[in-house]
Amino acid sequence: MYRKKRLVLPFLLPGLIGIIVFYVAPFFGGVWYSLTDGSFENAFVGLENYSKVWQNPMFQLGLKNTMELSLICAPSLFLLSFLLSLLLNRIRPAGGFFRSSVLLPYLMPSSAVLIIWLLWFDYGGPVNHLITLLGGNRVLWLQGAELRMPVVLLFLWKNLGFCVIIYLAALQAIPVSLYEYAALEGAGFIRQAFSITLPMIVPTAFLVFILSFVNAFRIFKEVYFIGGAYPEEPLYTLQNYMNNMYGKLNYQNVTTAAYIFAGMVFALFGLLFFLQNRAQRGLN
Amino acid sequence: MRQMKGIRLRMIQILLGLLAVILLFPMVQTFLYSFSSMTEMQAFMKTRGSYDETRWMEAHLIPNRVSLLQYHQILIADNTVLRLFLNSVFYALTILLGQAVVIPAMSFGLAKFRFPGRNALFFVIILLMLLPFQVTMVPNVLTLRSMGLLDSVWAIIIPMWFAPFYIFLIRQFMVGLPAELTEAAEMDGAGTLSVYLRIILPVSRPILGAAAALSFAESWNLVEQPLTYLTTRTDLQPLSTMFNQLAAENTGFEFAGATLYILPALFIYLFFQEDILSGIALTELK
Repeated sequence: MYRKKRLVLPFLLPGLIGIIVFYVAPFFGGVWYSLTDGSFENAFVGLENYSKVWQNPMFQLGLKNTMELSLICAPSLFLLSFLLSLLLNRIRPAGGFFRSSVLLPYLMPSSAVLIIWLLWFDYGGPVNHLITLLGGNRVLWLQGAELRMPVVLLFLWKNLGFCVIIYLAALQAIPVSLYEYAALEGAGFIRQAFSITLPMIVPTAFLVFILSFVNAFRIFKEVYFIGGAYPEEPLYTLQNYMNNMYGKLNYQNVTTAAYIFAGMVFALFGLLFFLQNRAQRGLN
Repeated sequence: MRQMKGIRLRMIQILLGLLAVILLFPMVQTFLYSFSSMTEMQAFMKTRGSYDETRWMEAHLIPNRVSLLQYHQILIADNTVLRLFLNSVFYALTILLGQAVVIPAMSFGLAKFRFPGRNALFFVIILLMLLPFQVTMVPNVLTLRSMGLLDSVWAIIIPMWFAPFYIFLIRQFMVGLPAELTEAAEMDGAGTLSVYLRIILPVSRPILGAAAALSFAESWNLVEQPLTYLTTRTDLQPLSTMFNQLAAENTGFEFAGATLYILPALFIYLFFQEDILSGIALTELK
């Protein structure tokens, strides 16, 4: 550990300047926009923009959809990757092929894969074919609320691998002797998973949970690829609202909506952080 | 964990193997389709969107006749896809170059120096990492405009040089490096720069590789930035924002385009795969 303050500056300064100019200053600079009316005089209007945006039906639709999609995507990503990493950890070192193929989609460009995705979910496509073979009826996947299904699956397909890898790293750090001891005591697979595995990886699980939400909030990408700037109602996210307001040069509404969103994001992560602290203290 | 034997192990292997095939299938299908002739592909794509209850799409997987016409079209006859592809390559490389200069240095500063405000700075970086892009979008547009960068490639590239996620990732790895690693060099009177270049960077190879691959994936899939910073310049758009419109036109060469788009990401993945796995395993991600 170096203590001379002068020495750190050459390493820190380039990054620090960039972070201040492109991240920190804009964050505070935007506050001004959310509190003024955007007219020629640019008068101070207090919280008027906030109440206007909050009551805007498109904002409400976007917020509702973003919350619903995040609450579908993030928990399923969190649980599915946990289960997969448990299975994968059980069959190591044989799982090399699976480990490689589960991470690959994370690096793939979504829009290139989307053509195949739309083929699979076509009314006459393989997914519906499989459903009818199993005795069900065809579903109109590419319209209305059903369109969420392909979007969520594309999201899971893409993000699963990264979470599995993070979990797996934590699982492999658990000493084998703990399990041997538990097995001697007669604890089965389920018992071991909950009494040893889960408590040992609480910090990692917390990280994966946060990453799941951060990525779920960015589902706009997938939505944009499927639906463009104005997707059908069930897919209209908060980011669609903000981008479209930006297109109309309504900077006040963009920043105001962005701060409401940021406030909610930070409140959620603050709550998660609090819960994680509690959980860890409870376990120790 | 205790190794399992016999039938349960087999079942898990089969299950995971099946899942792996499903995960890889979109890419395999894209490659196979890219070797169909354009007329064959156009005819096949027209069978989509039919609501006739009695009919299914053809279970078409392998080209009727292998043809390189799609590739001829996108690489030689028509340069629309190729131009966008080269835009994407340019963005990915310049972003990566700038990040290589700025980010590991800052991570080193945060991990191995003691200075006032260090923890506060790190906390700010974590907060910024969680922040959605749109929060800083409008003020950024104004900053970039006043610098004369808006509607130029630099509007996309320069802010990405300071992406907080990679600072966080690399810092977490460097914090875990033992102090003994640098002590001997310090005794010999090596300066911080030489310690950074000769010791810290080489031993950080896995996380640097992982970060490079993840950053490439992000640049290769840019959407929000080009949509807001390049509104008047369709010629500078990367493949990521334009590919869908091209694919929607049923040109017959969309699968060769998709293959071209996928291949660099695939090579990057194969090249950095071990780095990603070991980099993440060795990083204190808590």
